[in-house]
Formats: sequence, C-alpha cells, structure tokens
Amino acid sequence: MIAVTTDGRDIDLEVAKLSGEGALQKVRPVDTHMQRVAREWGKLPTPDTSDPTYYGRPVLKEPVWHWAIPLYFYVGGAAGASLVMGSAAQLDRSGELENLMRRCHWAGIIGSALSGAILIYDLGKPSRFHHMLRVFRPTSPMNMGAWILSSVSPSAIVAAMFAQRRGILGAFGEISGVASGLSGLALSTYTGVLIANSAIPVWQESRRVLPILFGASAMASAGSIFDMFFEDRAARRVTYTFGTVGRAAELAASIALERQAGRVPHVARPLHTGASGFLWKTATVMTAGSLLLSVLPGRSRKRRVAAGVMGTLGSIMMRYGIHQAGVASARDPRATFRQQRAGHGAAELD
Amino acid sequence: MPAKGFFTDTTLCIGCKACEVACKQWNQLPDDGFFFTGMSYDNTVALGASTWRHVAFIERPVPLQTQDAGAFSWLFSSDVCKHCARAGCLESCPTGAIVRTEFESVYVQPDVCNGCGYCVVNCPFGVIDRRSDDNRAWKCTLCYDRLREDMQPACAKACPTESIKFGDLDHLRAEARARVEDLHEKGLREAYLYGEDEHSQPGTGGLNAFFLLVDKPEVYNLPPDPVVPTKKAKDAWTSMGVAAAGMALAAVGAVLWGKER
Ligand code: SF4
Ligand code: SF4
Repeated sequence: MIAVTTDGRDIDLEVAKLSGEGALQKVRPVDTHMQRVAREWGKLPTPDTSDPTYYGRPVLKEPVWHWAIPLYFYVGGAAGASLVMGSAAQLDRSGELENLMRRCHWAGIIGSALSGAILIYDLGKPSRFHHMLRVFRPTSPMNMGAWILSSVSPSAIVAAMFAQRRGILGAFGEISGVASGLSGLALSTYTGVLIANSAIPVWQESRRVLPILFGASAMASAGSIFDMFFEDRAARRVTYTFGTVGRAAELAASIALERQAGRVPHVARPLHTGASGFLWKTATVMTAGSLLLSVLPGRSRKRRVAAGVMGTLGSIMMRYGIHQAGVASARDPRATFRQQRAGHGAAELD
Repeated sequence: MPAKGFFTDTTLCIGCKACEVACKQWNQLPDDGFFFTGMSYDNTVALGASTWRHVAFIERPVPLQTQDAGAFSWLFSSDVCKHCARAGCLESCPTGAIVRTEFESVYVQPDVCNGCGYCVVNCPFGVIDRRSDDNRAWKCTLCYDRLREDMQPACAKACPTESIKFGDLDHLRAEARARVEDLHEKGLREAYLYGEDEHSQPGTGGLNAFFLLVDKPEVYNLPPDPVVPTKKAKDAWTSMGVAAAGMALAAVGAVLWGKER
C-alpha cells in the first residue's frame, strides 16, 4: 500500500502525521499550481541568453597591484632609457658628451635603485624579494624582469666609476657602459611584456604594441627629464632628438594600441570610458602637446621645460591609464567572453 | 603516479554546498564575511584566496527537460581550480612557488610565495587570489595533504550525489564520456564536456578538473575559449625586440647626427 501524499507534500502517512504548521494549507492539483508559477516566470523580462554572464560578476581576478606598479614602469623606463643614451654617448670620441654620459649613468643608478625599491614595496611579502632570484624562468616575464633589474645597477655603477678613465680600467668601464645600455634596453621595454603576458583582455589584446609603447614612452620620459633639468650645450640636441623621437613613437604607438585592442570593440572600452579612459586620453593629449612644442622651430629654454613637463605628465598618465584599463577590463566579464567568442582566445593561435 | 583530478558533473549537483563547507573545514580556511548578495542562493560569489570551492546557482528562463518547472530551470555547478595542464599561474610565477605535484596537480608553496600577484592576472579562470591580510597567493591544493595519505579530497568525499568525482584522470575521462552519451540517449542533448582534454580545450592543454555542462560556459562564469597567456607571449617578446632595436637606433642616431655643431 502506498500512502505517500501526492499533493506536493510527499509525506508517507504510514510513518508521519499531517500535523505541521502548514498541514492545513489547501493544495490544488500540483500541476495547475506549477503551471501558474511557470506562467509567472515567463512574464519576467527575458535576460539576453545569447550573451549571458553570471550576475554580471567578473570572470577574472583584477590585478592586486596598486599605485606603485605604474610608477615602477615609469621610473624603470626612464632609468633604462637614460642608460641607453649613456652608452650611445660612448660613440662620441670628442669628449663633448662626457657630462651627458655621467648624468646618464647616474640617472640609471638612481632610477634603478628607486624602481627596485618600489617593486619590493609592492610585494605582498617584501622580505621575500630575493625568492625571485632562486629560479631562472623564461616563461615568467616577471622573473626575467627581476634578473634584468639586478643586472642594471652593477653595470651602471661600474660604468659610472670607470668609463672616463684611461687604460684597462677605462676599457672595463666602457664595456660595462655597453652592458648597462643593453640592460637599460631590456629594463625599459620588458614591462610591456610583463602585463601583455596576462589573461586581462585589454592587455593581452594589445600585446604586440605594449612593449613598443612602453619603450617609446621610456625614451620620452628620459628626454623630458634631461630637457627639464640640464642645460648642456653639447648634449642638449642629443637628448632633445632622442626624446622627440620617443614622443612621436609614443603617440604613434598609442594610436596603434587603440586599434589593436579595438579589434574586439568591447575589449578597448576601458580606453574610452571611466577613469582609465580619462587618464589614457589626457596622456595622449599631453604627449601630442609636448611633441608639438618640441618640433616647432626655435628652442628656447622655456619651451624645452614646458615640453619636458608635458612629456613627463603624458608618460606617467599613460602608465596609470593602462593599469586602470587592466583593472576595468578584469571587472568586465564580457571583455573576456566577447574576446574569446570573436576568435581571439586560443583560436587565434592556430 | 597516475594523474589525479576532478570530474564535476553539474547535472548531479543539488546546490547543497557540502563541498564548500568540507573544503573550508578540512583546510581550516577563514570565512570571507557573511553577505547577502541577492544572487539566487549564491552568497559565496566567487572562488578566492580563502574560498576554494564555489557553488554557482543559475536561474534560467529556459526549459530543461529533466526538470519539471515549465519555462524555468535551475543549474548548479561547483567550481574549483582547474589544475590546468598548462597553468597560467604556474608558468608566470617568478619565484617558483607554484609547482606541479606528483599527482599532476598545481600547488602553491606558501613558504616560497612572495606575494607578487603575477599569478592573479595570469589565471584565465580568475581562480587564484591574494588576500590583503595574508598577502600571499592561495588556491585549491587538490587536497595535497589528503592525497599523500591516500584519501580523496574533502569536497569529493562530502559530495552526497557524486557530482564531484575524484580519481585517475584516464578513468574520469572515460566515465565522463560515457555519461555524456548516456545523457544524450536520455534526451539531454545539451550535455557536453568542458575542458576534458587538450582537444576540447587547446588553450590550456586540458583541465585536470573538468566539467559536464548543459549550457554555454559563460552561464557558469567559465571562459568559452581560455588560453594560458604564455602561449601568446611570443608576440610580446617580439614586440620588445622591435622596441629595443628602435630605441638603440634612435640613441645612436641622436649621438651621431644630433650633436650641436
Ligand atoms: S585554474 Fe588558474 S589557478 Fe588553477 S591551475 Fe589553472 S591557471 Fe592555475
Ligand atoms: S603571488 Fe606568489 S604564487 Fe603568485 S606568482 Fe607571485 S610568488 Fe608566485
């Protein structure tokens, strides 16, 4: 004998008694009830099932890096580009660029020390910084960066000590100068690889441009610093040329980056909207302004300083803009979903 | 040691969250605060540094033939670290804190991690995270301590419906394929496997914790075509080469031709 109630209560009357608080509730046929519930569900606004998300929640975790990291990108970039200028200056045998060379070495030494400090400060466990040097791991741009950063200071210090000497020591200094230039090249561009190598849609999508943008911006940063603070007749056109090329390249790379990221329109959204959009656009205007100031004929001291200030602001804001764009991109699940649905996930590797 | 993993059959999940509780209890993880989200019965929200299992509750205005609620259906799915064959977290970790164990799982060594946060942006599934009070990265360990004692992970042990199955990956894959066929025969044509091997998910080389789903991955907050970022790194390194060459040229050019005469 089956005595289980069929009124939606599913209670076996052999072993239980209908005595609960709701036992007296009248039940119409369960099917009719269900149909009514279902009808009401049908009246709810239909969510867009062709483009679903999970309650709009992010699919990725946003970067845990704070304000120090974009600053690190800027300082490391400027330091690296200065060292590149310094080792190029070795090519000049007239001795007129010795001052420039020394300043470049010092900018590299101070800048790399500062950027190392900022990087360590940003770690969750600063006291474990050296753990980055317990492995050599080419798949991790951050590990490569740690090795690059640790090679910058020693080579720059040796170069600063001996590059202007004669004889064996001088040769040693010059070789170190070249080495510091090479590490400078790496230091000012690897940061682009660092963030491009990530799951964050806007960074991943612009991976072919980010290192170029960061390198160009590093040139502009170094050029701007020299423009603002040093007045060295022989060197000023050198730093000016270097910085101006950097500004032009930074502007061109910004435009290219927008187009790269914009291949999937939703992915490029943080570059146009919100805080990141504001930073990014203002940075572009600043860089364009400093470029304009630096190519107009005539080179008064005032004009150079103005160009340097705008160039510096442009570079710094660009780094913060890219960082914020990454945060916004991670928060937006559709950036990931649409990027991958557009064939820009694993599909584009085939 | 054969590779171990999870096969999570979401059609069997009843949303009881026993896995979440068992995981927290066994691993002695702290709570993440108690919030009422209004997102169905999901007040856990997402995987995180101290939440290594997360049951998603999906209310859909879509009929599902195994459910008797007209134009409505429920989906439950217990999410977890995928222990990817090509793991973004592991490949990006600069300290070597993240390692591949003898069970082919992906394990973070808390005594090595320096909290750089790089793994966080490199997981294509948004799994691993850093708590601001602990400052290191944490995620599911596939109950490494239990596996070494020949026990199954706490979540699988606690799952009352065997929605979470733990075992040798080869067996799990065969079982999962049979299950999909069975469901198809029974008329649940929507059933499919997510990430069961390299073929089904080339970007990650396959997941050691894979899923049986009945709707688009996005519905469960899973990416449709995830890729380990390292696979695209060549483009960025090439671009860095171009940038470095350009900068070197500009510097040499500026010195040779830019000097004030
Ligand atoms: S799901 Fe994320 S955290 Fe888990 S192994 Fe894969 S990349 Fe690492
Ligand atoms: S946070 Fe820890 S586990 Fe993650 S990449 Fe950095 S060192 Fe590795």
